[in-house]
Amino acid sequence: MSDEARVGIVLVSHSAALAEGAADVAGQIGGGSVTIAAAGGTDDGGIGTSIARVRRAVQCAAAGAGVVILPDLGSSVLTVRALLAEEDFADPVALADAPFVEGAVAATVAAAAGGDVKAVLQAAEEARHARKL
Amino acid sequence: MPGSCEAAITLTGDLHARPAGSLALLAAKFRSVVELTAGANTADAKSVLAVMGLGATRGQQITVRAAGPDAAEAVTALIGILAEATPVGG
Repeated sequence: MSDEARVGIVLVSHSAALAEGAADVAGQIGGGSVTIAAAGGTDDGGIGTSIARVRRAVQCAAAGAGVVILPDLGSSVLTVRALLAEEDFADPVALADAPFVEGAVAATVAAAAGGDVKAVLQAAEEARHARKL
Repeated sequence: MPGSCEAAITLTGDLHARPAGSLALLAAKFRSVVELTAGANTADAKSVLAVMGLGATRGQQITVRAAGPDAAEAVTALIGILAEATPVGG
């Protein structure tokens, strides 16, 4: 645990409301010390994904310690991959293969605890195995 | 020498999402392995999803068990947060 910059979280969804809602939930549970940027919807606010919105969210979440991106499904993944292929960010950026809400919560708590990109990515991906019942 | 330590507390509120987050964040500060047991279920205290998955509710006894160099401190801290955090819902 250190006082250095936290890993930032980017939530990419087809829906702006879904991305922002998941960010709200994860922020509440994670205690508020992590930057969670929501990138939902198309440029005109419809259902879909926007490479420009994801780019801005990554820039927002990057504080020097890296960024972990969680896509919801389908073209969210493709949009993130397209962005990462065309742009080099100063921060290390990782794409998580994880359930959206559980992964966002687990990643945020891991980031708040001072985990690096690898630890935050692992926390998100372990959410695949978490049982609710 | 690494040691182990354990203590139990009866919950005064449900172990909901927000208390689970606070608890996992606190547990992550310790080097020891920290586990919570409620009934037949045991969870890694550093995993927020595992702590939520315990489904521990008011009136249930939770045991905190830690093993490692700061086991006693970890158990004291987690019992403290379980005593104060769980009345909060959500």
